Amino acid sequence: MPEWFAYVRGQLHLRGFRPEREAEIVEEVARQLEDAYGEALRLGQSRQEAVQAAEGHVADWTALARELEQSYRGRESSMTTLQNSAEDRDFRKGGRFSALTDLRQDVLFGLRVLKKSPGFTTVAVLTLALCIGANTSIFSIMNAVMLKSLPVHDPQHLLVFQWSARHSPKVHSSSSYGDCEMRLTDTSAFGCSLSKPFLEDVRKLGLFSGMAEFASAGSITVSGKGEAHHASGQYVSGDYFQTLGVSAAVGRVLTPNDDLPGAPAVVELQYSYWSREFGGDPSAVGTTIHLNGLPFTVVGVAEERFLYLTPGTVRDISVPMIQRRQLQARWAASREDAGSWWIVALARLKPGITRESAQSQVTALFANDLMHGEKPLAKPEDAPAITLLPAQTALSGVRRQMSAMLYALMLAVGIVLAIGCANVAGLQLARAGARRREIAIRQAVGAARGRLARQLLTESITLALVGAALGIVVAFWSSRALLAFAASNSGRPTAISADLDWRVLSFTIGAALLTGILFGLAPALGSMRMDLTPALRAGLTRGHGKASRFKLGNLLVVAQVALTMVVLVGAGLLVHTLQNLRSLDPGFATQKLLTFSVDATLTRYKGERRAQFYRDLQQRFSALPGVLSASFSESVLLSGSLSETDFHLPGTPPKAWAQADYLPVGPGFFDTMKIPMVKGRMLNQAEFALEGKLEDDPKAAAKVVTPAVVNEAFVKQFFATVDPIGRPFGANGPAMTGDPDTEETAGWTIVGVVRDAKYNNLRREVHPTMYVPSGDAGSFELRTAGDPESLVQAVRAAVRQAGPDLPIVGIQTQAQQIDIMLFQERLIARLASLFGLLSLLLASIGLYGLLAYEVTNATREIGIRVALGAPLAEVLRGVVRHGVTLTAIGVAIGIGAALAVTRLLGSMLFDVKPSDPLTLAGVTGLLLLVALAACYIPARRAARVNPLVALRHE
Amino acid sequence: MSFNRDLNKGSAELLVLTLLEGRPRHGYDIGKLIEERSNGQIKFRIGSLYPILFRLEDRGPIAGRWLEKDGERRRRTYRLTPAGRKFLQAQRSSWEEFVSTINRIVRPSHA
Repeated sequence: MPEWFAYVRGQLHLRGFRPEREAEIVEEVARQLEDAYGEALRLGQSRQEAVQAAEGHVADWTALARELEQSYRGRESSMTTLQNSAEDRDFRKGGRFSALTDLRQDVLFGLRVLKKSPGFTTVAVLTLALCIGANTSIFSIMNAVMLKSLPVHDPQHLLVFQWSARHSPKVHSSSSYGDCEMRLTDTSAFGCSLSKPFLEDVRKLGLFSGMAEFASAGSITVSGKGEAHHASGQYVSGDYFQTLGVSAAVGRVLTPNDDLPGAPAVVELQYSYWSREFGGDPSAVGTTIHLNGLPFTVVGVAEERFLYLTPGTVRDISVPMIQRRQLQARWAASREDAGSWWIVALARLKPGITRESAQSQVTALFANDLMHGEKPLAKPEDAPAITLLPAQTALSGVRRQMSAMLYALMLAVGIVLAIGCANVAGLQLARAGARRREIAIRQAVGAARGRLARQLLTESITLALVGAALGIVVAFWSSRALLAFAASNSGRPTAISADLDWRVLSFTIGAALLTGILFGLAPALGSMRMDLTPALRAGLTRGHGKASRFKLGNLLVVAQVALTMVVLVGAGLLVHTLQNLRSLDPGFATQKLLTFSVDATLTRYKGERRAQFYRDLQQRFSALPGVLSASFSESVLLSGSLSETDFHLPGTPPKAWAQADYLPVGPGFFDTMKIPMVKGRMLNQAEFALEGKLEDDPKAAAKVVTPAVVNEAFVKQFFATVDPIGRPFGANGPAMTGDPDTEETAGWTIVGVVRDAKYNNLRREVHPTMYVPSGDAGSFELRTAGDPESLVQAVRAAVRQAGPDLPIVGIQTQAQQIDIMLFQERLIARLASLFGLLSLLLASIGLYGLLAYEVTNATREIGIRVALGAPLAEVLRGVVRHGVTLTAIGVAIGIGAALAVTRLLGSMLFDVKPSDPLTLAGVTGLLLLVALAACYIPARRAARVNPLVALRHE
Repeated sequence: MSFNRDLNKGSAELLVLTLLEGRPRHGYDIGKLIEERSNGQIKFRIGSLYPILFRLEDRGPIAGRWLEKDGERRRRTYRLTPAGRKFLQAQRSSWEEFVSTINRIVRPSHA
């Protein structure tokens, strides 16, 4: 037999008892355990089981000891003051401890209760996991795009130079690569691209401890290491990495010495690019690679966390700015002067210099340069100024473009969560009805109402936390899937890592707690109320209690339907928008068309030779089996690229400018794209040949009138009343403007008119457009007889034959191109539909649950009615009527709410009004249909009630 | 269903006192009897029953005594004191009043 006395001695630590009393307590407890042990043995348990049974009688020895000490305290008057105070301290500690123990007990008890009703628990946890998961997922992307701090050292002290003026300064070129917001209008202008000379002057002010300047270098051809490919590059100042506080993972970062005239050509790789193209091989450092055919030595790989500087923009390689003229063969000398703004600059203040003082000194310099430079770019009334903005906000990148979408999605998932809450609250209410007896008895035997309410709330919160834990799993997978979808469909790397950091996790836990409190509050309050109805309301019948609970249940269903309506209408509008864009006729045939670009930089061909090369390629492609015709143009239609040109229209004042879209095209372009000719003729071979010759001779080109094919919009706007064929336009020169600086151009003459076709973007209206002959243009279009994708290998082979190691960029069908263009629309339409369906599912479960509960409760009443001869159809109708009424009220409220909310979608919609009656009607129909289905099962059950059974029910 | 958690001190004491009304009992037997008579709805583990016995003895309604039998270890037996008897009566009538009040509210009316 186990020695129970010793066992209890070892477990029970009592304080403040006289030794004899303590011994008695230990003995008594030991005897009782021994009794329990003996009994277990008698019941046939093994010795080990019996020991376990006995030991199980005291789960918490500490709690037992505290309880005994508490009871004993009042009696020990002989204790010294010192002992008393020591004990009080212990007791206070014990009090806290027991509060924690209570919480633990509540949670454990809650889990046990939840385990007892697995159906309820499963539905509730799944609902919460989906809702909280969807919220976490969208929030993690929002966090990545909008909230995460820049992956550099001390990002909050990094400042960006933003210029502003009342009118657009008269710069001759201004480039922005989407790093920050830019506006150039007649009423307000701002941006953060600046000129090289100005930034050099800023450095001389000595206000900053470091300046990081950078500018996109566009797409760079990398060769000499595996297959030639394109990488996105940037030019950086020598102190770029040092200023940002970014170190090297391998090798070293670029230094100011690398950016001095005559410095060896070096390049720094971005970490993920290095992993992708060099397999993360440290020995890549020190090797030589070819950028646009020129040798550069790899000096290092930037540290891993430096994924991007501008959110959403990945730059694979960084080259010192000094290399720009070598790397870009067509680098215009004019880009170096004060009138060419192309560099974004960041800086850190020197210690002791305030932002205000730095800002005013830089502004003074900027205003002076602009107004009194070699060529004045602004007037004093333009008030040119520089603002030093925190990099975190100024470098917005994709943030602006994505923020509307993210807010809309966040709103949608927020609503889904609210519906989920209402749903689980409804389930809880139904269960609270069933648990009424249990709760009443528990109160009767003395459970405090606060404690009961706390228990119920703990249950809800436990449920929500379990849901949230699962939700994090849901979010982990879904945000990954979402980013993968984004990466494979947007046509560019996303540079977003939606990691679950502390912000995301606190969001999730916050959402779970809020959710638990929200859906737990109703039943908890219900239980409190029940206790507050003392004897004076003894006449209160069950019917009353039911009625009030039902009102709450009805309210929850109406709210769910209304919220679902909002999400569904939003989703409907977005799907409608996508359909509108998809079914839009862009003015050319988008099917069976393969598009790609061939980069001929590496051939170093120029002028006529280059034109010959493209014509040769065109012939090779045309000859491929399965190709009906092949042509080329400066850029692929609907790829986002756009060229525009200003020109002088005959008959207008000398300094008035008209504007048109501009696209250089190759022979057979209109045939291949199937853009129908309306009038006149196409461009002919002689014209293409001439253009090829003039390509590298701007002076000669300026004297030749270029033939142009224009679209109908062009004719409508500029030559509406006359026959456009043979009309000249765009000729300009000092003789016309009276300004010797005016560039001499001979202009164009219209030879043909084609039907309108979209250029860069489906959403953009067709503008007046001119198509001009191109000798060399990088993008090819192949009209095919069958599946365009089956030609990819043949195209690659043809390019290899024409010249080795030429990168083919962006080979895809026109349909894929359009899909990429519509990426954001597709993404949001898809997600909104998903959330819409989720809402619908939750709302229908909510409706079903309420009606099923109602039918169960009304079984007796239904039985009586059936016994008295009510037709079954009427019983059925009663249930359905209730469900449909609730749905109809919800829909009515929902329409109002939807009209208010969908206006926020405004800019995301295309060719559909936020109040589109078709969408509203469709969604209403869908909701009513689903509501009917949700009513059907409970109604059937009601109709099957056997009167006899029902009457015995009570 | 188990009501253990909601038994407040008063109710638990009432149960213990009731069981000691007829005759003295061992501590462990009291727990077993409560479990049997409640059809297992109320279970008293030693860890929760003993403090009640301790407290009741400490305050007077019950008295404990060690009883020794030949060949067995001594065990403590509890009995109701005269003060305990009065205390039980008062407790019982206030309980009954409470239950009937609750029942008036909780029981469905069959009108």
